[in-house]
Amino acid sequence: MIVRWLVALVAIALAVSGAVATLGQAGSGAQPWDEELSDNFVFVKVIPFALALGLALGIALGGPRRADASRRFAPATIAGHWLLALGFLLALPTGVWQYMGGILDVSLPLPLYLIYRVHYIGATLILFTLAWFLGYWWAGTDRSLLVPRGQWRRHLTGLAHELPPRLGRMIASRLGLDLRGERPTAGKFSFYETAFSFPTWTFVLTLITITGLAKAARYVYPVPGPLLYWASTLHVAAMVLILIKVLDHLRYTLARWSLVVAMTTGRASASLAPAPRVAPASAAGGDDE
Amino acid sequence: MKAFAALLALVWAALNAVLAILMVVNAFVAKTAQHEGLPAQAALLLGGLTIGLFAALLAWECYRLVTKRAAVRG
Repeated sequence: MIVRWLVALVAIALAVSGAVATLGQAGSGAQPWDEELSDNFVFVKVIPFALALGLALGIALGGPRRADASRRFAPATIAGHWLLALGFLLALPTGVWQYMGGILDVSLPLPLYLIYRVHYIGATLILFTLAWFLGYWWAGTDRSLLVPRGQWRRHLTGLAHELPPRLGRMIASRLGLDLRGERPTAGKFSFYETAFSFPTWTFVLTLITITGLAKAARYVYPVPGPLLYWASTLHVAAMVLILIKVLDHLRYTLARWSLVVAMTTGRASASLAPAPRVAPASAAGGDDE
Repeated sequence: MKAFAALLALVWAALNAVLAILMVVNAFVAKTAQHEGLPAQAALLLGGLTIGLFAALLAWECYRLVTKRAAVRG
């Protein structure tokens, strides 16, 4: 534990040193770059420090914790969630503007570099938080958001039960799931969260991270044109998917207010307990989603 | 607190709805076709329609939250 925190302290010191050196170079006036190009270089130089700091802090905060049935989320999870939300709040609107501004062929009455600057701040927060969560989960023992090996069919069946009946039946039919049997019982998280929400979040966040890093890499490495083209295209696609995911996430959690309370206070409520093991095939589905 | 959260989410849904409309409309603009091509037009249309659908679902959930109908669901 002490070693983890020592590593985290070293990472904090390195990150602060890196940020001071990078911003010092950018603000020295020695470079002939304009504001936008200067910000590009600042961003690409800050990325390794943000990733390393997030990873080190995540590992330090992770590890075995005292079991507490009254808690649904640990303070570190709550902090990471809201940091990620803040990152999206900064990066999504500015990313949308960069894309739609070109489509609409209009400009805002403020310099474009400011849009990019806010986008980069949001992206840095997102990268930091993703590394934080990776380290945190790697060091911890809670895997309740993951579908265990060999359990996908059970989780997908549970998901089909949680969806509105018509949609659930359609998905079950496509995936060859049998909804006539006993309805699976969800664990700490609903099947919607384990079989759909978390995997799709993982996919879109991985896509936006890899494509964003490829785009940023061009300022330190000659990235081939076709690769850059596809990275840019898929970065926009990932942005659109994240917009959809955020809307769906808000819709899902607002319908279950105790989830909002849990992600604010950490406290679980009785309404978040797993659904009772009931519901024969004829009555299955339609209660949650 | 619920009303405040619903208001914030409603603002987010409205902004996304505006974006959805812009995406769908610009999927059919000649300039987009000339500059971006058919795949980009299809992406704008599909993306705009999906964002619009989810924005409408979120707006509906905000309404339910404020009118307390969601309270029984936790």
